[in-house]
Amino acid sequence: MNNFSISVKPANDIVVIMPKGYVNDLGAERLEQACEQFLDKGIKKVVINFSDMQFINSIGASIFTGIVQKTLEYNGQLCFTNMRKVHRDVFEMLGITKHVKVFKDERNALSFLKGLG
Amino acid sequence: MKEKWNLKRLIFNISSLVDLGQEVTSSKGFNDKMKTTLYVVTGMFSVPKAALFLYNSNSHNLELLTHKGLREIDGTSLYVRAKHIKIFKKNEPYNISEIKDNSFCEHNGGAFKKLQTKTFIPLFAKDEFVGAITLGKRLARGSYLPSEKDVLKVIANQMAITLHNSNLFKKLTNKVTENKKLYENMRHIYHDTIQAFAAAIDAKDVYTKNHSYRVARYAVAIAREIGWEGRDIEGIYVAGLLHDIGKIIIDRGVINKGEELNTMEISEIKRHPQISYDILSKIKFPWKDVVYFVKHHHERVDGKGYPDSLAETELSDGVKILALADAFDAMTTDRPYRGKLSLFDALREVKKCLGTQFDEKISKVFFRVLQKEIKGEIKEAQILPHLDKDFDPAIITTLLEAITAELTA
Repeated sequence: MNNFSISVKPANDIVVIMPKGYVNDLGAERLEQACEQFLDKGIKKVVINFSDMQFINSIGASIFTGIVQKTLEYNGQLCFTNMRKVHRDVFEMLGITKHVKVFKDERNALSFLKGLG
Repeated sequence: MKEKWNLKRLIFNISSLVDLGQEVTSSKGFNDKMKTTLYVVTGMFSVPKAALFLYNSNSHNLELLTHKGLREIDGTSLYVRAKHIKIFKKNEPYNISEIKDNSFCEHNGGAFKKLQTKTFIPLFAKDEFVGAITLGKRLARGSYLPSEKDVLKVIANQMAITLHNSNLFKKLTNKVTENKKLYENMRHIYHDTIQAFAAAIDAKDVYTKNHSYRVARYAVAIAREIGWEGRDIEGIYVAGLLHDIGKIIIDRGVINKGEELNTMEISEIKRHPQISYDILSKIKFPWKDVVYFVKHHHERVDGKGYPDSLAETELSDGVKILALADAFDAMTTDRPYRGKLSLFDALREVKKCLGTQFDEKISKVFFRVLQKEIKGEIKEAQILPHLDKDFDPAIITTLLEAITAELTA
């Protein structure tokens, strides 16, 4: 719980969320809550930048499963960027990436989302 | 490629089972622990919506314990009866459409809809039904592979054991609370019985109505002042109430005789501490030394008391406290053979008898606590309310200060 924090960069109809540290216990629920708050406010384009994210376990996977589900319910678009291979493998194995656009970096994701109109 | 993914999946499953093991053995609170274990399950199988229920054997319902990804489901419960439990396979994941008993699905149709349940796992610890997990639709794929079902069964078994242990702990905690209550009730009954005894003792002597009660109060005041607490205070209080119980079998005529007692009558009266001891030593008191305080409350520090003529060093503080409290009340109340002393004279009498009848240390404490009570420094006065109100507080305070100064010098 002490090893996790998030920073948020809202920009018009897009929000970029950067989790930092370990997504391995209930403390990381803040990430899911933050996404939900933006979706509730009508900001449906969400970018999660993984560059500062370390370890993820089954509890972390549960949190990302929740984020994907909520984005689908809100008809939003979720993008993941700066993923390491280890994260990408876990998400692919769990079927999470089927519902997410994965980009190399934040710039590419933003350009894609802006193109959606 | 497929082999590579299978290996990755296997590693992920094993590390998730390790996560589960760490969670169930963690020092987290029960609810947090169960919530985290549910997250492990939902993470492993990418299920966004799930709930964990605890079986209440009194209401025969599954009661919601925690959930993930669901809204407005607080208070949701599932209907389960013995016949349903009988047909469930232990910790087996069921697609809810596979559950054969119609009444189970009919009764729980509404709840399953709210919970968006696709899979139902009854939780058993050994043979005991303890709860259930409901899982919603998976993000990735529909049904569970046989190997995934096997993993789910392992997890369900672990969660069932955790629920079972928690139930046992709860039952134990309830039992302890129940026993505590029972003990408190017994304690009240015990105290009431002792009070009744004290009233019976005092009723025998028309002159000493409430004597035992006052002695108990005075003893408590002194004991508190020297730093006694809790059970020790209770013990001296009970000793005060029962110290004269031996008088019950002394001839009433001797006790209430209005003139000087002859040698035989004095001997008869002097039997009462030993008789008190004989009666009370049959009782296993929860308080330390009550019977000894009672037996020796007529001993003196100069060794001239009765029944055992003990020397000062052989007398405990409890005995010295009770002896002083008893004698002080005798001085300040009417007796068949003399009128009561004024408070002023009684205090001077105590002072005069220091080192012979009364212990100096205990008497100093007594003077101090009385002073404090007169000055209103003690919240619940134990001595003052039982004394005649005809004394001048200023004079008594001056006397007490003078005695204290003399003893300190």
